Order: sequence, then structure tokens, then C-alpha cells
Amino acid sequence: MKPAPFDYYAPKSVEEACALLAEAGGGATVLAGGQTLLPLLALRMSQPFVVIDINRIESLKFVSRADGGTRIGPVVRQSEIISNDILKQALPVLVTAAQHVGHHQTRNRGTIGGSIALGEPAAELPATAVALGASIEVRSVRSVKKIRAEEMYLGPYATALSSDELITSIDFPEWPVNTMPLFREIARRPGDFALAGLVGAVVIESGRIARAGIAWFGMGPTPIKARQAEAALVGQSIGSLDAQRLAELAIADADPFDDRHATAEYRRTVARRIFVRTLSEALKQRQAA
Amino acid sequence: MTLHVDGAVIGRRLPRKEDARLLTGRGTFVDDVVFPGMLHVAFVRSPIARGRIRSLDISTARDLPGVLAVLTATEIDRFNAKLLTFFFTPPAEFPFPLLARDRVAHVGEPIAMVVAQDRYIAEDAASLVTVEYEEETPVVTIAEAMRAPPIHTGADSNVGAVIGVEQDEDLEAAMASAPYLLTRTVRHQRIAQSPMETRGVVASKQGDELLVHISCQSPHLVARYLSHALDQPHLSIRVIAKDVGGGFGFKNHPWREEMSVIVGCMLLGRPLKWIEDRWENLVAACQAREQEMTVRIGLDRDGKLLASHSDYSLNSGAFPQVPDANVAVHMFMWAAYKMPQCGFYSRAWYSNTAGLGAYRGPWGMESLARETLLDVAARELGIDPVEIRRRNLITKADQPCTTPLGIPLEDITPAECLEKLLEKFDVTAFRAEQAAARQEGRYLGLGIAAYIEPTGAAGSMAPMTGEFVQLRIEPTGTVTALMSTHSQGHGTQSTMAQVIADQLGVAYEDVQVFEGDSSRGGFGPGAAGSRQGVIGGGACRRAAALLKEKVVRVAAHIFNVSAESIAIDNGIVHIAGAEKQARSLRQIAEIAYGEPSRLPPGMESGLEAQYRYDPPPVTYTSAAHACVVEVDVDTGFVKIRRWLSCEDCGTIINPAVVEGQIAGGLAQAIGAVLLEETGYDDRGNPLAVTYKDYLLPSIADVPDFEYLHACTPSQSEGGFRGVGEGGAIIGPPTLVNAIADALAPFGEVPLDLPLTPPKLLAVIEGRPLAKPAEKPATQPMPEPIASPAEEVTPHREAGVLVDGSWKMVLATPMGPQPMTGHFETQGGVLKGTLASDQGSQDFEGTVTGNLLKWEMKVTKPMPLTLKYELLIDGDTLFGKAKLGIFGTAKVTGQRASTTTG
Repeated sequence: MKPAPFDYYAPKSVEEACALLAEAGGGATVLAGGQTLLPLLALRMSQPFVVIDINRIESLKFVSRADGGTRIGPVVRQSEIISNDILKQALPVLVTAAQHVGHHQTRNRGTIGGSIALGEPAAELPATAVALGASIEVRSVRSVKKIRAEEMYLGPYATALSSDELITSIDFPEWPVNTMPLFREIARRPGDFALAGLVGAVVIESGRIARAGIAWFGMGPTPIKARQAEAALVGQSIGSLDAQRLAELAIADADPFDDRHATAEYRRTVARRIFVRTLSEALKQRQAA
Repeated sequence: MTLHVDGAVIGRRLPRKEDARLLTGRGTFVDDVVFPGMLHVAFVRSPIARGRIRSLDISTARDLPGVLAVLTATEIDRFNAKLLTFFFTPPAEFPFPLLARDRVAHVGEPIAMVVAQDRYIAEDAASLVTVEYEEETPVVTIAEAMRAPPIHTGADSNVGAVIGVEQDEDLEAAMASAPYLLTRTVRHQRIAQSPMETRGVVASKQGDELLVHISCQSPHLVARYLSHALDQPHLSIRVIAKDVGGGFGFKNHPWREEMSVIVGCMLLGRPLKWIEDRWENLVAACQAREQEMTVRIGLDRDGKLLASHSDYSLNSGAFPQVPDANVAVHMFMWAAYKMPQCGFYSRAWYSNTAGLGAYRGPWGMESLARETLLDVAARELGIDPVEIRRRNLITKADQPCTTPLGIPLEDITPAECLEKLLEKFDVTAFRAEQAAARQEGRYLGLGIAAYIEPTGAAGSMAPMTGEFVQLRIEPTGTVTALMSTHSQGHGTQSTMAQVIADQLGVAYEDVQVFEGDSSRGGFGPGAAGSRQGVIGGGACRRAAALLKEKVVRVAAHIFNVSAESIAIDNGIVHIAGAEKQARSLRQIAEIAYGEPSRLPPGMESGLEAQYRYDPPPVTYTSAAHACVVEVDVDTGFVKIRRWLSCEDCGTIINPAVVEGQIAGGLAQAIGAVLLEETGYDDRGNPLAVTYKDYLLPSIADVPDFEYLHACTPSQSEGGFRGVGEGGAIIGPPTLVNAIADALAPFGEVPLDLPLTPPKLLAVIEGRPLAKPAEKPATQPMPEPIASPAEEVTPHREAGVLVDGSWKMVLATPMGPQPMTGHFETQGGVLKGTLASDQGSQDFEGTVTGNLLKWEMKVTKPMPLTLKYELLIDGDTLFGKAKLGIFGTAKVTGQRASTTTG
């Protein structure tokens, strides 16, 4: 379990990193927190010719409020998300999701950018980006562009990122302060990837749902936006929600699979229940508040 | 941390002496060992489960800069090293190779060994070795092994070992007349042995000295093993293992990789290091369990046991360290219960999977099967699970007694442990809470289980000797012990020091225990079979008593008083009742070493003693456990809410160490019941090759346990009983019973580990669990490797040449036993001698045509009558020997010489 040989670069600027990515012609891998990459290198499941370590690029470490939204640099650690005051205020559901990523030790290294770029279908942060309608700013020597999170994920570990592109920011739209967060996941052990997970945000205005963003993780080859459930929620009065029917609609967009840890049928059954449980509990809390 | 202790030291929760170095990262593990000029090894391993090696090309790998050598079976076999079992016997009637020769038999099997200047280059080169395979259909499961032709050349079936009988007439009659008959099949999945420190070895050779640093369970045992396995009379072998991060059984002795590295070191003359990585550990190291047992129990309507039979199979894999069917599974199945008669049939099956090794409580399937079936019986008969145990457990009042399988019992206390447990756990209150919770849709369950465990065994099998200590009071007054015990986390440096300090009357901080080097002290098998507290502790007490006697004699002489008036307290030697008449132990030692003229006439100088303690053959530990769970009926997830243990491990040396042992075993039990599972697809590919897929219990999955200690002193010196394996044995049925109790309103929980959320949700929803698709019937069965031997049938024709010497092998439960037989016939009378390294014995029997029959009595490992029935076919013979309660063993043989006349 020792990596195959590779060239290692630790650029100090985004420009330098992009130039190295372009030069490597597809043979490079970006190292952020390394919590997934290093085991893959050690197992030789990943054998890049070049590893570009972006941990010394200070301009990739920021959390800021801008243009009615929140921007997060890709080299922000998962543990920093949990303790960040801006994020606690602006994106509490992202903070909750980050608390479920791995363990204390891995969160101290693991970054939001690394998690977004990897595209593990059962991971919390990509699904949160999809649910909240984030967009991902990517740069290369060719261009600067934005990819909508829901268009980012093509399959397990397959993303819309080109091999010469670097994530430079994850941009979340504004969600009002009193947005109702939804989060629950079922995992074999605390810290494991989810067997089934749900993340979302619901905006309630005068007793009616004005806006909803909901996504599944561990429920298909990518994070999955529960579009039908979102559409059905918007405009509903919170007093007359049919959680069961909404759960059915949410499940209809999912595409779970059998693996070693659970069958597709199990995932579907349990996901339906956690949807109902999570929505009902959140509404109850809201009404009590 | 202070280690200073006043007063009695036995029975106290003292801090462990090894903790400071282990917790601050200052331990010395194999990977910390570095030699000048040391080279690094990586193995080339089979990617397929079964096939013939068509070609092996090492040339590109060998040419990589930094590579010193690529060794294959061709080079390694030149050395003629043998793999042996824990009992120093050959593992099978055919040899197990160190590196694969012309065939591979499981994924991960080592084929070649790259030696390079560092591990990175070694792995680069390993990936450049090209092997062409002729792939064959593998035999993966027990069911396949039963149907398929043998996977090994030289074997006549996939049965690696068989003991017991499938059906016994008397037993069947008893079962048939039982008012209630319960039959269930219990399955335990395959477990990966997953110590924090994987296997590893650093071998170096200087002249005739072979120095081996190895992660193991006893350097003494490994040295003895290497002496047998290498068979190099002039070689001086020294084995060192200072700190070891967990053993659990598969580090009892070296196996294929460690032996290959040691032989590679001898061939190349350079120090070699190999540290097993986690992928290798999960794919290629010896694994554990994968057992199934169909148990039939006859009971009366009051739940009293009448008769039982268990049919047991285990998937041994291709090259098991323990190629037996583990007779202990049956010996202890009903040993703690009043079971009038029971029988068994056991088979170990070869398959194209990683081999099995011993794993904490290797026979524990008996407790899993018995305790879970007792709960099923209790539910079906409408009896409380506590009550069915009360009606059947052997109590103190029932002893001494002997179990139907011949185990003498004098002082087991499972029934008493259960009662003590129930004083702390109020079952009635729990049932009320359970009923109320069900009203709210919450499902609580209670599991109770009881058992006994054989510990501290010695004197019955080659490696299982007494334990040894050399003890001295240094001229400085501190106490040094060199011990045959060994810790892989057990804390023997502390517990043995407590025993010595207590017996000698010195401070705990003044006793230093050294172990981990085969060149110091004397032989002992170390950590195997929960034996070190019992036997090592006994040795410490006896040696300390001898040493104390000498100190007392010296002091009495100096003070000019009688020995009876001398006392030693906290390192001060004084006249009892006259505290001012005192010398420190250091002052006494200075005299004993430096001024022999002041010693009693004729006394040797110095303060040294040694003792090898041989305990009673077996010391039993008993326990009862209770566990409360809540099952989430929406998801099938299990939450453990409470767990109580009440064990009787006799006199306790250090309660913290005892509780640590129980907790560690229970953590493994929780892993086995809820999480852990290696597994194979139908091509024999392992499915859990990293910790992403092999789910060990984490701190969040293991609750705080509550401990009760019963403390009935044993018959062994000091009254100690072993406690190393109990948690891993009794934990699984306790937890399974709790889950089954919680879900009883929904139906019966399958006795099929692990009980994953999908499996439990299927019970809750009352639907059959979707099973992985069966192999299609069209899939070809594996082809036999060699045509099976022709059937030999008995015939009455005279003229069969019997007389002469025969080389024979008896496949005993402890492994194959080579023997030499000498036969002489006179008409129908057969006279002969059987000789083995256990001794030689004469017998008399009959010969009819080619059929030989005789009986002989043996005393080891216990009194037995062996009944032989052999058939001769030309120059070969084969047949069986009935080994009493051990069942039936296969006998094979070849003619060595003939006698004429």
C-alpha cells in the first residue's frame, strides 16, 4: 500500500495551479484534504503522474457573503464549516451536513472542495450543494465558468469538471434566516457514508411554502434532486401537508441500488420513512417555536 | 501517573506499567525495527481464486533499479522449509506451500516475493511481474465444497477434517421420543482478524544466528516453531517481539508470508522487512469463523433438556492454520448444562478462500448455537428464558460431576453467575418497561446467556506447557522477572508484577517484568487459550515464594533470630513486632550478592529463583450476561442500551485488566453480530478489502458495560481463572437473544449473522429477505484436479501381504499424526506396534483378507479407546480409527518395508 511514483507540485497561486493542470494534459490529480485521495493512491487505485497540492493557495481559503449569497473557498476544512459563524447564520443545514462527514480527525483535513469534486454519491456535501442550488466556480487556463451543482454530477465519482479545471469557489444562493432545515441520514456507523440520506431547505412565508430545495444522497449514482417533491411543496399550506404523498414523490426521483450494505428496496423503504419523519419533525419544531 | 502502592497489590485496579510507553507512541513494534542494509519485501499475489499458473515472468520486475531479487517457489522451496500447525504437526496429508507453485487456490495467495531497497520500489516491481493463469471455476461456499471435487491435489475430498458421527442410534431414539424437538441452523459469517498492528517480520542473519523480530503471540513458541519448520540443526534462533498490537489467534505462529521472508533472508543474507498492509490483512491473512451448525434439541414440555445432536461445518479456506473441525465446539456445547446425552458431527471444508486461523474463542459457535436455541425453545414452550436456564444449568450443588463427553467438573458457577446478575438486573421491571414501550411503538429486547470456558490448559498438547519465570532481587533491591508470558495488549507486565509484589511483600513500582525475547527465560506458548493469568500468575507466586524464603533465611541469619519471626512489608525486611530491627531489601541484597561470608553456611550467593508452573489440566471460567437493546422498527437499526456482565474468573489480579479483556471481547462480539463480514462473490473475489467495506465496531457502537465479579477461587495456584476469550464467546448469543426478544412480536429472527438492518427490517415487515441470486444451474461445476482414488473394497482372499512396516498418518483433531506401524500376522491374528513421537504401543487384533481390525487404549490427551479398521491395497492402506468422543479419524499409509518368513 504505497503509491506509485508521481511528480508533486505545491503551487501558491490559482494561476500556477491551472498552468500545472494544463501542462499535465489530464494526468494530474488535485490534492486538497487528501482524505479520499491518499488511500486511493496508497491502494494504487489512482495512479496519476502529477499530484498538485493546493493547500498552500491562500486565496482558496475563505468564507464570504456577497451578492446576496455565500461563497466558500474549496480549501475550507469541513471542521471550519462547522465552527464558522457566517455559515451557522446563513447556511445552518450545510453546517449540519458537515457534522455528518466522517469523523473529527478526517474533518480537520477534509475540505468542502475535495468533497464536491470527488462526487461520492453517498456523501453529504455534494447533495447539500445540489439541494440548496449552489453553483461551482471553476477555472482553467482557458476560462472561468460556473457549473450548477445539479449539473455537476454525471455518475459515481464522475463530474462535469474537465481534467484541467480547478474549483475556486462554491457559491450558495441566499436562503432566508428562518429557512426550515431538513437533514437526516442512515449509516451503518456514525461517520460512514449514508445508506440513505436526505438534505434540504424549506422557506415558509405566511404559513405557505414559498421555496424548497431537497436532495437525496446514497439513493442513486449521483446526489439526486427531489424535483417532484419540491414542486409539490411550493405553494402548499403547512397545515395541510401530506408527508406520505410527498415522500412518494421524492422517492420517485431516486434511483437506489443494491450493494454490500443494503438492497435498493431497503434504501427506498427507509428513505421514504426518513422523509416523512424529518419533514414532520421539522414542521412540529417550527410550530412549537 | 504514580505507580506507588501501599498494602496488598493483588485485586487492585492499578495503572498498567506499559501504558505510559504505549499511549505516548514510544512502544517498539516490528515496523520500528531497523537494521543497516535492511531490504523490503512486497508480495505478488493471485488475482484469481483458482487456477493453474501457466507462466510467471519476473524479468521486467528484476530489472527495475532498486530491486535486489524476485524470489518464487523455485528459490524458496530449495530451502525445504515446512509450514506446520500450532501443534507443530503438518497441516494436512499434502504439504502447504510457502509461495504458490503451479497452482493458486485463493485470491491473495502469495506467488512471488520482490526484495527491494524500499517498499515503494518493491510494490512498483511487484506490479511488473506478469503471471498467466488458466482460470478454473472456484469452490467458494461450504455448500459448493460439499458437492465439488477436491480443490487440492493430493486430497481425496474437500473435507479437511471430520470428527463425530452423523447419526447415533441411541441418540436418535432419545430424540424421537422427546416431547418437543427443536431444529435450527445457525450461521456465523466470516470474520477478518483485524488487529491494530497487522502481521510483520524483520528477519536478519549473522553467521549461524537467525534473529527474527515478528508480530506474534509468543516469541518462545515462534522460536520453537521455526526450529521444527526450518530444521537447521546448527542454526541459533532468537525471536523478539517487544510490543504487539493485538493477536487474537492468527499470530500464534508464522504463516506463509512470514516464513517466506525468513527463508528469503537466509537465501539472500540480508535483513528483510515485511509489514502486512491493511489490504493484505483483509485479503490474504488467515480469517475466522464462517461456520454453520444444524442443532437438534429434544426437550420435555417443562423445558428440561433430553438429548441433542449438532451437525457442524466450517469453511476452512484453502490453507487454514487450523485445519481441524475443532472438537472443543462439541466438548463445551452442553458442558455447563444437565444434558443427558448429546452427539455431534463436524466437518472442516477446503475452499478457494483465504485460510482460517484461530480467533478469540475459536470454539465459541457452541455458545452461539446453544444459547440462541434455548431462547427459541423458551419462546415456543412459553417458558421464561431465565427459567429455562435455571432448570438446566449445572449448579455448585451438582458438582463434582462428569459431562456425557467426559469433562470432569468441580467448580463451575454459571448458574451462580446468573443469579448474581439477576440481583443487579430486575427482569420483572424490564418486562413492564418493555410492554409500555411497545404501546408507544418502541421495541425493547432482553438477551440473557450463560456459559463456561476452558482456560489455562496445559499438559495435554505439545505447545501447551506450563509457564516459566526467572525471578531475582537485584543488588539494587528492585525485582526483575523474566517471563514466558507475552502481551499483545494483555498487560502481563503489570498483572505479573502485581502477583510478584504481593507475594514478595515489595512495592508494585519496584517489580519489572521482561518478556518478548525467546533467548531469555524459558519456553511458554504465551497468549493462547486464556492461560497467562492462570499459569503465569501461578509461576510468579511459586517463584516469589521460593525467593522470599531465601530472603527470610538470610535476614534471620543476620538478625540471629528464627525464620518464623521475619516479615517483609513494602520492601522492608524486619523482625515481626520489632519494626526497628529492619533492613531494606537492598541492604539484604547487597549482602546476598557481595558478602557471601555473612550468609548462612552453605547458601549460594545472590537472590534468584525460578519456577515452571504446571496447573491442573483445565481451569474453568463461568459467566452470565444480560443485554438490553432497542430496535428501530422503521430502519432495522439496533441500539444497545445496557449490557451487564457477571463473570467468575476466580481471584482477580487487576479488575481493570479483567474488565478490559471482557470489553474487548464484547466489542468483537458486537462487530460480529451487527457489522463485520468479509465475503466473496461467486468467483471467489473478496468483497471487503478496505475498512470502507469491512465495518469494525467503533467507539460509538460499543456501550459502557457494567461488570460484576463472582470470584470463586480456582484449584490452580493463586485461585486465578482465565478471562481472555469470554466476551467474544458469550457476547454474540447475548446480543442475538436481545434482538430476537425485541422483535418477537413480528416473528423469529434468523440465526444468521450479521443481523444487518436490511435483514432485521425483513423480519419486521414479515417478508422474505431478498437473497443474492443462486448460481445458475448451467454454471459448470469445477473440474476435478486429479481423478479420485479407485475404491478399495474389503475382500476375504488370503495372500494379502500385511507383515512389515508401514508409514501411516492418522488425521486427528489436532492435525495429522505421523506414525510407524509394524504388523505381524499369524492366521487370522494380527499383532503389531504403533509408534509415533508420542510413544509406542503394542496391540493385538484380527486380519480377514485385506481387512485389519484392532483396539488400543491411550491416555493422551485423555483416556480413550481407539478402534482401528484398515484396508490394504497393494502397498497402500487406508481406513479409519474411532477415537471415542473425538469421533472418527481417517488413516492412510504406505508400505515402508516387508518382512518375509
